[in-house]
Amino acid sequence: MESRITFENVREAIEKLPMLSPNVSRLLQIMADEDYELDDVVNIVKYDAALTAKVLKAVNSPVFGLLNPVTSLDRAISYLGKWIVVSIILSDSTGDLFSRPLAGYEGQQNALWRHDLFAAFSSSEVARYAKQSFEKELAFTAGLLHDIGKYVFAPFWKQASGEALGRIEEGSVADYLAAERVLAGLDHAQVGYEMARYWEFPEPLQQAILYHHTPEQAPERFRALAYAAHLGDMCAMMAGCDTGNDGMQYQLDNGYIEYFELTSESLAQILLETEIQFKQAISSLSLEEEVDK
Amino acid sequence: MSDIILGIGDYGASKNPGSMVKTYALGSCVAVTMYDPILHLAGMVHVALPESKINRAKSEECPGYFADLGVPLLFDEMVRLGCQRKGRGLIVKMLGGASVMAGNDTFNIGKRNVLAVKKILWTLGMGPVAEDVGANHSRTVSLYADSGLVTVSCPGRGQWQI
Repeated sequence: MESRITFENVREAIEKLPMLSPNVSRLLQIMADEDYELDDVVNIVKYDAALTAKVLKAVNSPVFGLLNPVTSLDRAISYLGKWIVVSIILSDSTGDLFSRPLAGYEGQQNALWRHDLFAAFSSSEVARYAKQSFEKELAFTAGLLHDIGKYVFAPFWKQASGEALGRIEEGSVADYLAAERVLAGLDHAQVGYEMARYWEFPEPLQQAILYHHTPEQAPERFRALAYAAHLGDMCAMMAGCDTGNDGMQYQLDNGYIEYFELTSESLAQILLETEIQFKQAISSLSLEEEVDK
Repeated sequence: MSDIILGIGDYGASKNPGSMVKTYALGSCVAVTMYDPILHLAGMVHVALPESKINRAKSEECPGYFADLGVPLLFDEMVRLGCQRKGRGLIVKMLGGASVMAGNDTFNIGKRNVLAVKKILWTLGMGPVAEDVGANHSRTVSLYADSGLVTVSCPGRGQWQI
């Protein structure tokens, strides 16, 4: 079948990828100011999934020889230092990783960016309700990066996506993820995992990306994080920040109950708090005119 | 132009010829539309949660976010723009309130939003003449001031009217 995608196709596409940031110009503006602080850079970088990925990749690259992977952006930037971070940013080209329309998903420009940002805040809020100790910072990053696979997957998926909703409606597949697997041979979570591995993300993030729709299948030590990303993803779709024709078309994994103490009231609080933070972030990044549809 | 685009928690109304009131991508949120066919006055509110009591501060800052405050505020706005106080002749519709697949009671905020909107409409002496609620897909909704037409669209599903 022509529309089927192989891992080889995906790897070839990943190897051609630049790491792109939607906030490069904003960051350049800040750095043009002689008085800028490291915190100014941190505040921009942490809302930019691609740049976060690049900074984490840099700090965890073999050249630094760290014994333990650094998964928190603040620590990564502190460790790398201002100038290395600036070098990373400057070496970046104009970014479309999260802003490019997602062809196969009929996702508008910036839809992935809005979705990921909302999911990041939601995942972080969900993490506050964890039944066991849980690193909030990591949940934010996992939420921000969970759907990166769509960037590479979308152009391939375009050929087969037309049948996806019909298959779900007729009940021959359980949800959109299953439709991707049946129609294309693999799904966006698997593609995201390949990207995360290629960029040498810390393992918890790789696993959260791979299992963000199927957290019950994640290895136990990464499962809470995978659930946080899963629930953040769900919250983003519920809030209308979806990535196109797959909005609300994924199964909720009710196994989260074992890891998070959520009630209808706390979920409402999560959505409310996320909405406030999301709007602040969009405003502070001066992206309002770009992301407002 | 004179179109009104509503974000989450916003409400607004227009009677400018050729204008529309529109909101994008309702997931579990609900939009209530009100239309006065004599005045060609079109109004809409985009509510996200059923009850304002969960956060008093936010409810003061953005009352339209909550069904129990947002729907009466939309009606007040319609009255301010000329609609009869008892809402006679007003055409009310509701849309949205979708659910995630396999959602449990906790996650079924869409359903709770729909019920909360119906309850507050009831207390205002109104009821929706048409609704497109529930299911597992988002909805972008437009209400046209000239005709009162309500159109709904969703990526991958095209456009329809209610």
